[in-house]
Amino acid sequence: MPFRFAIMFSLVLVSTGWGAEYDAFPDLNHDDPASLREATRVLEEEVKLAARSQTYLLLDLPAGAVRIKGRGVDLHRISILQWAASAPHQLTGTFRLVARPPVVRRKIDPSATTEQEPIALADMPTDYQLSFTPALRMEIQSVREEGIVQKIISSAADIWQKLKVWGLSRTDPPSPAEATVTLRLSVEQAQSLAWSTVDGMALIVRRWPDQ
Amino acid sequence: MARFFIILSLATLGLVAILFSSNPSDMRASGTSVTPPPVYDQARMDDLQARYKNASKQLSQFMPRQPYILVDTARNHLYVKRSHEVILDALASTGSGVVLDKPGEGKNQWVFDTPRGEFSVQSKLTHPVWVKPDWAFIEEGLMVPKNHADRVEQGVLGEYALGFGKGYFIHGTLYTRLLGKNVTHGCIRLNDSDLKSVYQLARVGTPIMIF
Repeated sequence: MPFRFAIMFSLVLVSTGWGAEYDAFPDLNHDDPASLREATRVLEEEVKLAARSQTYLLLDLPAGAVRIKGRGVDLHRISILQWAASAPHQLTGTFRLVARPPVVRRKIDPSATTEQEPIALADMPTDYQLSFTPALRMEIQSVREEGIVQKIISSAADIWQKLKVWGLSRTDPPSPAEATVTLRLSVEQAQSLAWSTVDGMALIVRRWPDQ
Repeated sequence: MARFFIILSLATLGLVAILFSSNPSDMRASGTSVTPPPVYDQARMDDLQARYKNASKQLSQFMPRQPYILVDTARNHLYVKRSHEVILDALASTGSGVVLDKPGEGKNQWVFDTPRGEFSVQSKLTHPVWVKPDWAFIEEGLMVPKNHADRVEQGVLGEYALGFGKGYFIHGTLYTRLLGKNVTHGCIRLNDSDLKSVYQLARVGTPIMIF
């Protein structure tokens, strides 16, 4: 009888799914205090968002992903190819998206005989800006399959971007300007992010630990 | 001249190496001044680890314990998941995103999007009938009937329907060839067998996450 009870108890534990040792950031180094402190800060912010019925964004820079979440559950992950952030000390707290990227919506004409084409993922913008409050600007840049000339040009642009960022990092004291995050995504992932955002959507940022 | 180019190349390489050596994998940036990392003794580390575990546990308490429905409107898939396990992966049709002017209401429009966010199953119906809203007549260039009975259409929503608020339903379709496309007025369409599975797996209160 106790044996059967133990088996049933184990099954109940397994069936509840998420398990007692849920780890929100599997990539986290639990022995690195800076990483642990940052992850804890983000989790404590996220708990407030997960308590309400809404979907929200977690920009997880160490994991290289934008995570669309609801109730703490990962609904979808968007991979980041490269990123840059200015004024990372301002990237704490919860941000709210002012407006999703504009979409050209087709209008139904009742007098027309042909049906209007629906909006598809391919109709979404590939390079755009997302503005949040408090002041945060997220620049989305898409990366296409490139030929050798484009690769040289984009490498030069990368180096220029790094030089600018390097220059900024030497600025002391930090600039009071709004924080900016630049994300480079594949075309499909950029469109997917544009598709999935909604006005007023909450965003939290997990920064790189040395920030 | 050749020596000049060699020196220039070496200088460029050196600069790039400096930039990449501190930030090897991405375009990380910091606007903050450099401060020495705090010293952590074992007691502080234990405290930090306990805080992280506690926040993780708090977050996991918001996660659905029972099966929940996840809808990807960009790729037109509906999933029923339990924890991380996918119980059902169904091809769906979701909102077309097109607009229709409301006659006599200036710039007011109907926008045929599937709403995004978190919802829950509010009703479960068998043999549902469609009570056609105004837009269903207007988009076809027809007069909106005054008689309620003229709005009722049977056999177009399949065997089951699951309501999730504001007139939105998960239901069946006669147009199975359009599954996988954004063609609806905001409802979520499934084929008959997937609809039956969702109906059986979901209860009133089952969370529906839509992104």
